[in-house]
Order: sequence, then structure tokens, then C-alpha cells
Amino acid sequence: MTAESTLTAAPAPGAAQAPPPPDRTPPAAGRKRRPAWDEVPRWQIYLPLGIYLVFTLVPFYWILLFAVRPAGSTSLLPWPMTGEHFEKVWTERSFGVFFQNSLLIGVAVLVMTTVVALAGGYALARFDFRIKKGFMLALLCSQFVPGALLLVPLFQIFAELRMINSLGSVIIAETVFQLPLSMILISGFIRNVPYSLEEAAWVDGCNRFSAFRIVVLPLLRPGLVAVGSFAFVHAWNHFLFALMFLSSQDKQTIPVGLNTLMGADSVDLGALAAGGVIAAVPVVIVFAFIQKWLVTGFSAGAVKG
Amino acid sequence: MTIFPGGRRRAAVALALTGVLALTATACGDDGSGAGGDKGTEGSGKGKITFWDNNGGVRTDVWKEIIADFEKANPDIDVEYVGVASKEVQSKYDTAIQGGALPDVGGVGAAMLAGIAAQDALEPLDARVEDSALKGKLNTGMVDSVKAAGGQDKLFTVPTSASNGVLYYRTDLFKAAGLAEPTTWSAFYTAAGKLTQKDKNRFGYTIRGGAGSIAQALDAMYGQSGITDFWNGDKTTVNDPKNVTALEKYAGLFKKTTPAADVNNDFTKMVAQWDSGEIGMLNHNLGSYQDHVKALGTEKFRGIPNPTLDDGTRVQVSNPVDGLGLFSSSKNKAAAWKFIEFAASHESNSKWNKSAGAIPANTEAAKDAWLQEAEPTKLAADVLFSGKATIVQLPYYLPDWNTISKADNEAGFQKVLLGKATAKEFLDGLAEQLNAAQAEWKQQKK
Repeated sequence: MTAESTLTAAPAPGAAQAPPPPDRTPPAAGRKRRPAWDEVPRWQIYLPLGIYLVFTLVPFYWILLFAVRPAGSTSLLPWPMTGEHFEKVWTERSFGVFFQNSLLIGVAVLVMTTVVALAGGYALARFDFRIKKGFMLALLCSQFVPGALLLVPLFQIFAELRMINSLGSVIIAETVFQLPLSMILISGFIRNVPYSLEEAAWVDGCNRFSAFRIVVLPLLRPGLVAVGSFAFVHAWNHFLFALMFLSSQDKQTIPVGLNTLMGADSVDLGALAAGGVIAAVPVVIVFAFIQKWLVTGFSAGAVKG
Repeated sequence: MTIFPGGRRRAAVALALTGVLALTATACGDDGSGAGGDKGTEGSGKGKITFWDNNGGVRTDVWKEIIADFEKANPDIDVEYVGVASKEVQSKYDTAIQGGALPDVGGVGAAMLAGIAAQDALEPLDARVEDSALKGKLNTGMVDSVKAAGGQDKLFTVPTSASNGVLYYRTDLFKAAGLAEPTTWSAFYTAAGKLTQKDKNRFGYTIRGGAGSIAQALDAMYGQSGITDFWNGDKTTVNDPKNVTALEKYAGLFKKTTPAADVNNDFTKMVAQWDSGEIGMLNHNLGSYQDHVKALGTEKFRGIPNPTLDDGTRVQVSNPVDGLGLFSSSKNKAAAWKFIEFAASHESNSKWNKSAGAIPANTEAAKDAWLQEAEPTKLAADVLFSGKATIVQLPYYLPDWNTISKADNEAGFQKVLLGKATAKEFLDGLAEQLNAAQAEWKQQKK
């Protein structure tokens, strides 16, 4: 049997499954039958959802309103509309540069975290070694250490490496902090892939790496999306390391730039809202594209992790 | 089987990206030299210096203008501007002092001066000022204030500007209600009550209950109690019975004449709701004047000094004086000093303060025409320099002042507003911390 035929025969772990059909069995005597999904009045579904949506979306509406409303306007509707705040933050406040830096850091952290977490996660899932439990415990415990606690030591290390005011310092620090959780998650995903699939690939002539690449890696797509997006969003939003390790105006990131829009005694709310929209757009786009895989990925990793 | 269609090309792109990242990770960094306590050197007076702006973003444009003027006048010196958000500048300095990478010049407000100076990070500037064109041209009150704030009787920053507490009030609402200008505390409380119509979402006042609440509460307390000294011997006067009574009355405004959400008000929320709603009065400093002008125009509001007692006695607490410090780890102190001298000169200081709406430290700049036209700034300068007001000097020299006046007690003030603690309990606790910090500071000075 080839790896391909094995794949077609085995259900993909983590793949979305069709929901079970509604239970239409008559209730036992004396018990009230629970109404089926399609028997529930639509308003009982959509009204709570609508209320929840309003509750969630009002802050976003408020940000958008301030971002497109002319300075000094108190209108509750985004009309008349202006792009002056976006122009101001993008050009005068250098958000164009900050955006590029944040994007570079986000993508780099995503790539590095995913690659290293795959290697580490595979080792944790497939090999037994003497300190494995202790190592897993250490990974878990590392999640309890706040980044601020390690700020000065990290600063001194990067200073020794001549990496202060280099994007590399933030990329490395963010990756290091992302790795423990990512490795644990990825190892959970890999454990869900039957070992027999890899063994079958070995029988067909693959070595361990090619069996992993050809057989296991494609099945990990939901997990990779989950871990990668989590790493990207965290790096995109993270503030502390960028604030401390980067100084030059041309190296700063979006969260640091947003913070400078709030002065000691004065705040340009229009510019701040426009900056907030610019900061939120990539994250919203990322989640819009990957939400299906993200939910599947996290639930698959969570069940058997 | 292929993982992705076109896998080879993608693999090549991934490889290239990794290469770029590796280069990014190692290129163009600093070694972070320049920690607190480093001696630094005088340097050649030429080359590159780094300047950290302690209110980056908001003042970036005017600083870039001043830097361009400076570089034109001193073509051998390049100034690298680094804007740091005001909220984060303390931690940025602290990390740089511990780990290295301090700038050559930095903006340092009086509130954080003692902590930085205590770590030997700043160069005393008394001798440099004596030998420079700035001699005799800096406001003596601000020089004294900065010296006191440093805690070592040395001038660690060249003062550049001061702010002052301002009571902004809506002239249109006062006129409609037939109210007199709130120049006294009695008039203030009367107006706060009369302007409040909760059913119409109108309030007489907005109180600061969130970040930064303590300094504002202290200003209101001392302004009403008339107590003129922060210390009575080694004990603070914050929990003096007169101050307790004043705070009870002031905190009593909460929810009676203010929005209930004020319990979380930092200055951003406070200013935003005043600018966009129908609230009669707001206490803040000169820094938000331009925001009010943008939102309301110049016709609907005025900014006047904080109220006096009924007999005209004016007592207020000191506001932190902003200044420029020369970091002792600088490898090019000569060039760094030239920049400080230029930034504090008549033309640059005037330009900066006009942009910020603040009071210039350069006495020649303080006579410029723009100051006479900016009403709140002019009135504040008159109060500060007329000698008719008593300024209660807050203990900025205590290294713990920032912690005590912010993180340690802001939650306590919220409890007072919410009625979960009394003004006396709160002020007794504050006094205990201040007395301990003062005793520790005196012990360290011996």
C-alpha cells in the first residue's frame, strides 16, 4: 500500500465531520421531547446572536466612527467622511514604516515558530527519551514566566550580540516565547496522526524525513494554521519587546506607534482610531481566511493533546 | 505526492525568506553601550548623537523642526530623533540604565528625575549652564524646581517648559444658566450642582478617577484647605483635617454632579467626554488646550487658573517641570550639550512651547507675542510668576514618588469615590507611605 492509498483510506484527523442528524425518536412516556433544531423559532436563535453581535461590534463601530469622522465632529454617523486621519498616521506618523516592520516581524515569527515547533513537536510525539516528562513540564512552566521579568537579561544578551535596535532581536524574543505552547500543540496534532501511516511510508521506501514530509505534514495543515496564526497575531500585537529593543523611528512597530499617539496631556483621537483600524485590519483578514482551519485545528489538538 | 502545488517554488521562497530573516537578525544593531554609571567622554563635538523625546508622537513634528534648524546651524552634528510615548518613557529609561543603550540627550520630566539621577545616569549641568549663553536666561523658579526634584541640589536637566492646573469651563453653558465664572471654590461647587441635569445627560463637572487621579485630587485638596506646605517637619500634611474635609467635599461630587463612569477616567477619557458632551467644567493642565480648541472652537470655553478661596487666597500644587538631560554615558557630550543649549535657546524654546501650549523656561521666549495671545497659557504664567499664588511643592525628589502617587494609591482613591473607604482612611494610608519614603530618603542622604 502506498502512502497516497493509505491517506485515502484513513479519515483525516481533525477534518470537519458532518453533524449528526437531528434526533427524532419519540420521547418516552411522561418525558417532554426536546425540540429539534429546525423546530426552534428563528427569532430565538437570531435575537440572542444579534444582541451579542451588537455588544461585540459597537466598540469597532466607535473606532471606525472616530477614524473617518472629521476632527471636532460629534456626529454618531460616519458622515461626512474624511480620510485625513488615515493620511496623517500613514505619512506624518510613519505608520507605513511601522506596518512594514510589524509585518516582517509577524511573518518571521510565524515561519520560525512553525518550523521549530514542528521539529520539537515531532520529537515529543514520536520519541521516548529520559527527560521527556520533565521537558514537557518545563515547557508548561515557561508559560507562567512573564516577558517583563526577562526584559533586562534579554536586553543585555541582545546588547552583547549587537542586536539592540535590530528587528532580529524582537523576532528571536517573540519566537522563543511562542515556542513552548506551539510545540505542545503541534505534538498533540502529530500524536493524532496514526504512526502506522509513517510505517507504511517507510515500507514504501521513504526515510523518516520524507515520510514526515509526504504523509504527516499534509495532515497537520489545520494544526499548522492554528499555531502559525496564533504566532503571527501575537507577534503583531506584542508591545513590550518592540518598545524596549527597538529605538529608531524606522524600526518601530504598529503597537509602539499607536502608543505614541497618546501624549502626556493630549490625544488626537481621530489619529488614534485610524491607527487602531490599521492595526486591526491584518488580524481581521488573517482570521477571516483561516477561521475554519483554526477552529478545527484547536479542537483537534485539544481533544487528544 | 506533493504537499502543495508548485512546492519547489514555494520552498525556494521560504528559503529566501529565511535568509532575509537571518540577515535582519544580525544586521544594523547596536551594542547597547551606555548603561547607568558609565562615565562617557566629552567627544569631538561632531558626529551623531541620539535624542529621546519623552513625549514622542505628539511633539514629534516640532522636535524634528528644531533638529533640522540645529543641524543646519551645526552641519557636523547629526541628531537621531527617537520618540518615546510618555507613558512608557520611565520604563524605557530604566531598562536602558540597567542594560545599556542610553541616549546622549533625553527629555526628563521632574517627576522621574530623582529616580534616574539616583542611578548616576545624568550629568550635573550647573557648570555647563554657567559657561553658556543660557546663563541668566532660564526661569529661576523652574531651575529651583528642577534642582529640588533631582534630590541632590544639582541641576540635572535644563528646564524647558512648565505646565499648570487649569479649570476649563463651558462659557455657553454658564451663560445659559446665568452662572458666574468659577474663580472661587464656592462658585465652582455651586456651578457643578446647577449645571447637572442627569436626565438630559448633562453634568456640572468631570472628575479624574483613573490614572493620574492623585495629583489632581491633591491640587483640589490644597487649593481648598489653603495649607501651604507639603511637610510639617518630617510628617506630610496630606492627612491634615483640613485636607480630609476638602477631599470629602471634592470626592462627594462623584455621581452627584459627574458621570458615574468617571471612576475610571484617565485624562484621555476625561478630555474626550468633555470635548464631545455637555459637561460644565474640567480640570486638566495646559496640554489639552489645543484639543479643546479643535473640538469646541475658541468661543465656547475658557481656561482659567484653578479656583481660589473666597478671600482670594490661591494655593496650588506644583506641576512637574520638563527638561533636557545629558546622559553621563554619552560618548559625545560636547555635541550633546550643543544640542541642549540650542533647544533651550530663545527661538527653539519659544517654538516648542508655542506648539505645546506650555510656559517657556527661557525668559526671552516667555516675552514673545504668542504667549500673550494664548489665554490659558498667559493666565497660568501670570499665576506662577506673579508671586500671588502659593505653590505647594510636591516631593518629586522622592525616588518612590511616582509609585506612591500612581500605582500604589489610585485604586484607593477609586474606593473613596465609590464610598468603600473614607477620605480619612485613604489620606492616612497615603501619609504613612509618604512619611516612610521621606525618612528613607533622608537616611540615604546622610
